[in-house]
Amino acid sequence: MSATQEAAEVAMPQRPGLLARLLREPAAALSLFLVVALLFAAICAPLLAPTDPYDNDLTKVMQPPGSPGLPLGADAQGRDMVTRLLYGLRVSLLMGFVAVLIGGGLGAVLGFLAAFYQRWLDGPVMRLVDIMLSFPAILVGLAIAAIFGPGIFSVVLALSVATIPLMARIVRGSALVVMRLDYIEAARATGMTDARLIWRHLAPNCLSAIFVFATLRFGQVILLGSALSFLGLGAQPPVPELGAMASEGRNFLFFAPHIAVVPCILIFIVVLAFNILGDALRDALDPRLRL
Amino acid sequence: MLRHALHRIMLAFPVMFGVLLIGFLLMQVVPTDPATVRAGPTATPDVIAAIRADLGLDAPLHHQFALYMGRLVQGDLGVSIINNVPVTQELSATIGPTLELMAASLFWSIPLGILLGTLAAYWRGSLMDRCIMAVSVAGVSVPVFFLGLLLIWFVGFKWQLLPFTGRGGPLWTIDGIRAIILPAITLGGVFIGPVARMTRTAVLDVLTADHVRTARAKGLPERLVVLRHALRNALVPVITLIGLQIGFLLGGAVVTETVFAWPGVGRLAVGAILSSDFPMAQGTIIVLSLGFIVVNLVVDVLYAALDPRIREA
Repeated sequence: MSATQEAAEVAMPQRPGLLARLLREPAAALSLFLVVALLFAAICAPLLAPTDPYDNDLTKVMQPPGSPGLPLGADAQGRDMVTRLLYGLRVSLLMGFVAVLIGGGLGAVLGFLAAFYQRWLDGPVMRLVDIMLSFPAILVGLAIAAIFGPGIFSVVLALSVATIPLMARIVRGSALVVMRLDYIEAARATGMTDARLIWRHLAPNCLSAIFVFATLRFGQVILLGSALSFLGLGAQPPVPELGAMASEGRNFLFFAPHIAVVPCILIFIVVLAFNILGDALRDALDPRLRL
Repeated sequence: MLRHALHRIMLAFPVMFGVLLIGFLLMQVVPTDPATVRAGPTATPDVIAAIRADLGLDAPLHHQFALYMGRLVQGDLGVSIINNVPVTQELSATIGPTLELMAASLFWSIPLGILLGTLAAYWRGSLMDRCIMAVSVAGVSVPVFFLGLLLIWFVGFKWQLLPFTGRGGPLWTIDGIRAIILPAITLGGVFIGPVARMTRTAVLDVLTADHVRTARAKGLPERLVVLRHALRNALVPVITLIGLQIGFLLGGAVVTETVFAWPGVGRLAVGAILSSDFPMAQGTIIVLSLGFIVVNLVVDVLYAALDPRIREA
């Protein structure tokens, strides 16, 4: 270890860990707690739910919240709202997760390729990204639903496609900065393959940008997916999905508002939690990304 | 300036071509055969074949594409499978209400968003800043339909203050104004958050700039420093960013139109997709996409016209 490096290490106090930095901000701590709780509820829905999501009891149709045995009431088919919400959360979060995973993954690959082979891939890839960005997500959703028919598959595909160009931009920007650093040149000099160079040396340094964007995007994707399902283009009844539940409840708004309002509130909480957490992660991980 | 504009226009052409190509392919992959539909359920195979030939459906794909482009240029987007009305006729009846709704939403949400963003930036870190930013995060997290349903339930149904289904008539009539209030509040409501946020960032940037310090140093009243020197310079990026959010606004408009039964293009598109009315779906998607591309192009060129730094970059 060189003397200067040693001196730098002594002078630099240990930075607090990511979790500690996140928890300092009350809003961020609360959102982290909420996200963990929501993920837990979604994953363990079959264990937590008091009934089956398709079990309907016609004696309980449109029971308001607080009725005996039904803390959040029952829907128009007499199904327990708590159960429906738990399963709805599960379906909605899973749709969002798959979309961010696929769209974000493909986008990240494009971004890395554009930055790494800047000379001959950056132009074409970024043109492609520009073209994809000229279609707002809602139009992508409408077009895909028109081609493949309404359904969960169409929505997930649309959300993935709409995520690709955004992630590609973020990753390219972040990777271009890393590419200018000396250690990439040094690694290249050792003669490793491009693939290994990207995977082992370039990608890890872009992870925080990817992670921050994925978190923020997750909230947007959930919001958009629920909107498409609300329009009838996504999950079809009787599948419990939060947007579709709100859409079903809309028909009974004047008799039993809770059927529509409760799923809406849950969507709001989910999106809000991910948005706040994403902002906080950005501030904690990479202040340069602050917009 | 002119070169930049030309460059952007040249770039927009392949994108528009892509839209038309996707629209064409959309009709190729849908499960229904237009000739069978047009021939009706009792038609013999001979009749269907004749109609196929008549519509040019037996020609090779590139030939069909040329025919399709030719019809598009003449403003022929086909006929609805459901009610036999020309797609262009339905479109021209619905574009007005959609633009009306968007304009009414922007009319109140942009000024309010800019005001909130400026206040937040000026008193950065204060309680007011934190409150405004909290409202703005909540604004981008709330589902459009939630806002709409709440307004319908309280204002429309419980308090019986305003109508909540359909368009009341032209905007210069009382009924027209009353009918657009709730949809415009809904759509504008989700737009305030992004506008406030972008304004805050832009104003913060400008507030630390040299010319603002100079303005302060020469003793200008604070109000003038903020309004004339900071906000005015911040407005250029803000207006651009707002232009780039039109896609987001369009998404909100589709949902808002559905919630309030507003007779716009978004509702038409959703209805067409749900009823498998493919020509109508294709036409609405093509027109919405082209409109969006044109708006982006205009914003882009305007931005360069307003800010000389962009042109040189």
